[in-house]
Amino acid sequence: MHVLRQTQDENQPQDAAAITGARNLGRAIVITSGKGGVGKTTTAANLGTALAQRGARVALVDADVGLRNLDIVLGLESRVKHHLLDVLDETVTLDDALVSDKHSDTLFLLAAAQTREKDEVDTDKMRALVQQLRERFDYVLIDCPAGIEMGFKNAIAGAEEAIVVCTPEVSAVRDVDRVVGLLGNRFKPQLVINRLRPQLVKKGKMLSVDDVNAILRLPLLGVIADEPEIIVTTNKGEPIALRKDGQTANAYHAIAARIAGEDVAAPTVELKKESFLDKLGAFFGGRRS
Amino acid sequence: MSARKIVITSGKGGVGKTTTTANLGAALAKRGKRVILVDADIGLRNLDLVLGLEKRIVFDLVEVAEGRCQLRQALIKDKRFENLSVLPAAQTRDKDAVTEAQFAAIVDQAAEIADYVLIDCPAGIEGGFRNAIAGANEGIIVTTPEVSAIRDADRVVGKLAEKNVPMRLVVNRLRPEMVRSGDMLSVDDVCEILAIELVGIVPDDEEVIDTTNRGEPIVLDETARLSAIYDKIARRLEGEVVAFTNFENQSFFGRLFGALKAG
Repeated sequence: MHVLRQTQDENQPQDAAAITGARNLGRAIVITSGKGGVGKTTTAANLGTALAQRGARVALVDADVGLRNLDIVLGLESRVKHHLLDVLDETVTLDDALVSDKHSDTLFLLAAAQTREKDEVDTDKMRALVQQLRERFDYVLIDCPAGIEMGFKNAIAGAEEAIVVCTPEVSAVRDVDRVVGLLGNRFKPQLVINRLRPQLVKKGKMLSVDDVNAILRLPLLGVIADEPEIIVTTNKGEPIALRKDGQTANAYHAIAARIAGEDVAAPTVELKKESFLDKLGAFFGGRRS
Repeated sequence: MSARKIVITSGKGGVGKTTTTANLGAALAKRGKRVILVDADIGLRNLDLVLGLEKRIVFDLVEVAEGRCQLRQALIKDKRFENLSVLPAAQTRDKDAVTEAQFAAIVDQAAEIADYVLIDCPAGIEGGFRNAIAGANEGIIVTTPEVSAIRDADRVVGKLAEKNVPMRLVVNRLRPEMVRSGDMLSVDDVCEILAIELVGIVPDDEEVIDTTNRGEPIVLDETARLSAIYDKIARRLEGEVVAFTNFENQSFFGRLFGALKAG
């Protein structure tokens, strides 16, 4: 259970900008995948939370105009008053539109517009907005929509770094490979493998971390195991990274530490002991539903 | 009689549009229907992989639209069903390589030689979505019982309603034990929010990950629990009245034996 624990128990160095108060430009990182439903929004919410827990000032930008969800995952949907397009249209200021997180003092959300379209976003203005956010935050994490259309192009416009999220499935790997190609040489994408089921890998029914990375060949930032708790925390609007312990929370904290430049042990996912019910289910040839 | 042209869409990605398309297509083909599956996800195609046909692609949808080949030349016949074929999307082009009118014309052409044309819609509500719905006269909305997926589905329901496209709902990846413990929305909850007719409930089943990776739709495995479930959805599409299985209220042992009977 405590594979990555040591990363958290260390003296938690603060991010440089937070200590010195220096207003160097923050880092703008787009979180993308090509395929939908692999966990971009969950990754954005949890990494934003984990970085904020380390004392960094973090802005989360929901670039999924028309299909926003980051507000729900953070439990902030009732607090959203203005959104990204209001800021780009200059009908409100950035300060008016940034929603302060409930749980982390240094975390802010810029929500997407729900009833507008992605092609209403001006790419140059988006780039300028991200630049403006970089002046005020240590990290600007941009939650990219699925696909590779306008929404994708706008989401990557202002970013300098990319995290690609991939599940260990052939279709997701193919889509990520395409996105890595489209990102081009400006980015050096780093990989988060999400929803790994060690039990299935062991049975040869799921691609392993090595299988995925034999195809993608990207620096591995972290591996997150599949667990039902994520569905619960997402529905509740409380990112799992708020927890101080647990395999998944630890994994997100380790990724945050790696992003901050710490040397953290290689990501692993522990094989959970098979429960009696798992065995019973396997015995009957049924799959527990 | 012209074919039914059904778009399979969701708003949110990764909820199972492609898996639903492949399995419903195979279930309908197994019932003797002539089925054409159209992959509308230009640039991020996956339907070919799920059906294990990726190595057989010669031409694609964009080439048909540009008149560089005939529809018949681009259609790939399934390995297992004579009467099932796929029109693959282009992988190295953008979604705006095809207009809505071109897309609709291709679907109409496919409809002349099929009983069902199932259109696998890309995630999102951008140009690719507009293309995919352009040629459809029915919709199947796929959602998972999660707040974010339902919110996105609701948005898509609104978009299809604007175009007067009748819709039905597939609730995918239900985890009955999580519904019972109050950690997941129930099918009733989902139906109440979206207020469209239910056509299928598909429980979460890790077997799907494996069959998808291997390119063999789960309906091919007669002993698989989901095989019977997709068959029921196909029958409902055909107009039969088929009772829904109430997964949520089954006891553990009930489910265990239910699973044995592939129920």
